[in-house]
Amino acid sequence: MTDLTDPTRDGGRSPLAAAAGIARRAVVSPVTVSIAAALLLGAVILAATGAAPLTAYQAILDSAFGSDGISDTLTKSIPIVGMAVALAIPLRAGLVNLGGDGQLVLGALAAAAVGLYSPFPAPVTVVCALLAGVVAGALWAALAAVLETVCGVPLLVSSLLLSYPAVSFVSYMVRFPLLQKGSGIPQSERLPDGVRLPEFAADGGLGTGVSIGILLIAAAAAVFAFVEARTAAGFELRMTGRGPRFAAYAGVDRPRLTLRLMSASGGLAGLVGAIVVLGFPYRLTDGALTTPGYTWTGLLAALLAAASPIGTVLAGFFFAALTVGGFGMEQETAVPQQLTQVLQALIILFLAVRTGVFAKGGRFRRRPAAPPPPTATAEDPAGDPADPAADPAPALGGR
Amino acid sequence: MPHPQYPDTPASDGVPEVELRGVVKRFPGVLACDHVDLAVATGEVHALMGENGAGKSTLMSVLYGLQRPDAGTVLLRGTPHAFTSPLQAIDAGLGMVHQGFKLFPSLTVTENVVYGSEPRRRGLVDRAAARARVAELVERHSLHVPPDARVGDLPVGVQQRVEILKLLYRDARVLILDEPTAVLTPAEADRLLDVVRGLAAAGRTVLLVTHKLHEVMAVSDRVTVLRDGRVTARLDTAATDPAAIAEAMTGRAVDLDRTHPAGRPAATVLDVTGLTVAGPTRGAKPAVDDITLRVHAGEIVGIAGVAGNGQTELVEALAGLRPTAAGRVAVAGTEVASGGGKGASVAHRRRAGLAYVPEDRAEVGAARTAPLADNLALGFHRRAPLAGRGGLLRRAALRAHAAAVIERFGVKAASGAVPIGTLSGGNQQKAILGREITHDAPLLIVEQPTRGVDIGSIENIHARLVEYRDAGHGVLLVSAELSEVLALSDRVLVMYEGRVVADLPRGQADAATVGLAMAGGTADVPAQTRRATPTDARSGAGPADGGEAAAPAQASADTDGTDGTDSTDSTQESAGTQHASTPADAHSAAGLAGDGGAASGASPLSRPIDRGGDHD
Repeated sequence: MTDLTDPTRDGGRSPLAAAAGIARRAVVSPVTVSIAAALLLGAVILAATGAAPLTAYQAILDSAFGSDGISDTLTKSIPIVGMAVALAIPLRAGLVNLGGDGQLVLGALAAAAVGLYSPFPAPVTVVCALLAGVVAGALWAALAAVLETVCGVPLLVSSLLLSYPAVSFVSYMVRFPLLQKGSGIPQSERLPDGVRLPEFAADGGLGTGVSIGILLIAAAAAVFAFVEARTAAGFELRMTGRGPRFAAYAGVDRPRLTLRLMSASGGLAGLVGAIVVLGFPYRLTDGALTTPGYTWTGLLAALLAAASPIGTVLAGFFFAALTVGGFGMEQETAVPQQLTQVLQALIILFLAVRTGVFAKGGRFRRRPAAPPPPTATAEDPAGDPADPAADPAPALGGR
Repeated sequence: MPHPQYPDTPASDGVPEVELRGVVKRFPGVLACDHVDLAVATGEVHALMGENGAGKSTLMSVLYGLQRPDAGTVLLRGTPHAFTSPLQAIDAGLGMVHQGFKLFPSLTVTENVVYGSEPRRRGLVDRAAARARVAELVERHSLHVPPDARVGDLPVGVQQRVEILKLLYRDARVLILDEPTAVLTPAEADRLLDVVRGLAAAGRTVLLVTHKLHEVMAVSDRVTVLRDGRVTARLDTAATDPAAIAEAMTGRAVDLDRTHPAGRPAATVLDVTGLTVAGPTRGAKPAVDDITLRVHAGEIVGIAGVAGNGQTELVEALAGLRPTAAGRVAVAGTEVASGGGKGASVAHRRRAGLAYVPEDRAEVGAARTAPLADNLALGFHRRAPLAGRGGLLRRAALRAHAAAVIERFGVKAASGAVPIGTLSGGNQQKAILGREITHDAPLLIVEQPTRGVDIGSIENIHARLVEYRDAGHGVLLVSAELSEVLALSDRVLVMYEGRVVADLPRGQADAATVGLAMAGGTADVPAQTRRATPTDARSGAGPADGGEAAAPAQASADTDGTDGTDSTDSTQESAGTQHASTPADAHSAAGLAGDGGAASGASPLSRPIDRGGDHD
């Protein structure tokens, strides 16, 4: 209902009225309000510490989107958007994959191993490494799904707990069998020359640091958006998210759906790991994937967008920009970069508060009156408690 | 039941206990209340009637401080009040029981009742005093609630009385009950109406918000009818009749006693043999205990019974949503369950020819936040015309499908794009029923089809079910509304404690016979320990009744025209015939035995005590 891609939305209205409606909903959307409120409170915090809020925000914008910063932002958005989309896939059906870290690092390990030891020529090796990453992540996530559907371990628990041994295993592999000889840093050998994803070139012929991995992530997001909106399988996924018992009642095979969604999710997470390894500095470094918290930032982005495909991409990009902007702000204004993490947390908190208030205080569990449907729906999208991120796309686009 | 007068009841001096004057409440685009006047005298049971959306709930929200009126005043015993929160209303002596109860299931009755205003002694909660006070209130108002039972163990009807206890504990002079019987079974509802009468006799004032006519006729002193936010009738119950009230509610004459011609049973579409479903915990008695039944094309088979006697489990097992322990199920000739386990998947059963309207409309029958069109499409999305090549969804076909169902079943919705949760209960149900009927499956299972649905929609839904039957489909109807089962069914089965205890053809299924069977049979059989294993029953009763489903009932054909005692006996015969191999089939009829056969007596109350075992 609240997706831009929804087939039935605005069926009979004129394009102008529909556009006006979307714009109005975007302005009053909980996402817009939460972001505005978070920025406002962030400004108060900045002012309280003696910094100039506007200068700091300006610094974030400049460093994230300035001519120097934009390539950093794009590079950073590969893992963040990638993980966001990966986690949004099951989240759209109401399944939470908390094992992103494990799937991510296993994908990276598989890609690094293939990259280091493949007997094939470099281009073939790159493709094999990417595929190995996908398979490793998908298998690990599928194991979590099987633990739920066959053994009854809740997915939240199974996916999260499987993540820890995976991270430790990869850490061990990097520190011992794959360790670069003579290195004091826990990192693998550098991948052979040519075993890397090409980078986009800037005008002067210099590398931008942005690998074509970003295209792979974009393609994955596009496939997810298409499947979600246009196919029967995507319809089942959406309806499972809206009402799991309803979907089961109508004949959706939940164990099978869980297995498929988790495999897709883990596969994409593994792909992200592989892309990172195949980019600069072309090696697997212990903690390089887990320390920045890509999984958790991605999960926040997916939550912010209520797992809507386009919204998730925009939210992931927004968080990537905030992260990069935070570095720049610290350099320019001496405001610590942690402020951007505070902002991220505040946005999610405000979103939770706002939808919570609308769900409970604003209207009681049963609507006090039952006004006829047309009016009720005109009122609803703003406070639809089950879908906090109504229209995330215009909301974020408007920023 | 003697009810001591409430000590501080003022003499009726002509000042209404509650008065609303000229209340106007506007929501964007709707005038929910249009200059509504309402006066309720002290000690009166006043019914506020109206279809869904007529403005009843809004009016009560205004009275209770949940909504501020745009105009008008609220007076309690002549004093104007402007409540801004329910807390103020409670302080002023109002109390409301909402449809969804607000209780802690894991706490005891006493703890729930005193929560928020516990009696204290030296800074600690005085449990003894709390219990004594609650027990005294239970006693004085004959509420039959065990003060020490865990609320979660109690049946819904008793939980509702706990809600009433909460109000009495806070000394509410005016009790507002919002659709109180919507969640109750007939016996529980009768029990509640007794309580309401008792409260009024004790000097409390009761405002009953409902759209059920028979309750209003049974219990109220006066009636105010709302339609489209306006008062359309103020009536003395004694001087009116249900048809007049129905007309005031709907604005047209409603045929309340519509009877449908009998169906013509043909081929078997549902064949259930010895179906057993495990109870909630290991070692508990089976929820469904060796049930054998058949539904034929062209007939409606109604299952009556007090809620919680295995109907839900039976239907879920048939639909593939709950594993079975034993028995065989065939849908339109396709075996979908046999010998226990999960059986065929839901999708497989649906393909075999099963459609299903579930009891829980909001959670199971629909996804509330999803558009109406999507709700109507799920189940059709894997085949033409909704599914196109390569698993793509054809959106135009999806919209057309929704439009067709909306049109054919008269669903009132602006478009298929509105979330189904924004429709009224009746329209949601019409949409869900429409979706399932559109499957054109040989077997339709319908659970509580008109619960929480307004009168106009009930008529419509009933007509649809009969129409579907006449088109050559079989319908299995499960309903806690006895009148509904009796009005629609060609054959009535009664479930009690997981078993079918009566199987009556249409002609013999009258309210008295079925009601007694629902309460567990007869007062003549003393309560005995139940058989430990269900298996011995399966060997006897199952095959015995496999041939002609209606046969056992014929043995008790002389129920009509006999007095209460005789009809009790013949029901027992009927139950006995059904389970010929188990003469000591104990219907734990303790409640009845002590209560002279009142079906609405203590039996619902006695169950949780048996079950929970934590009543002292």
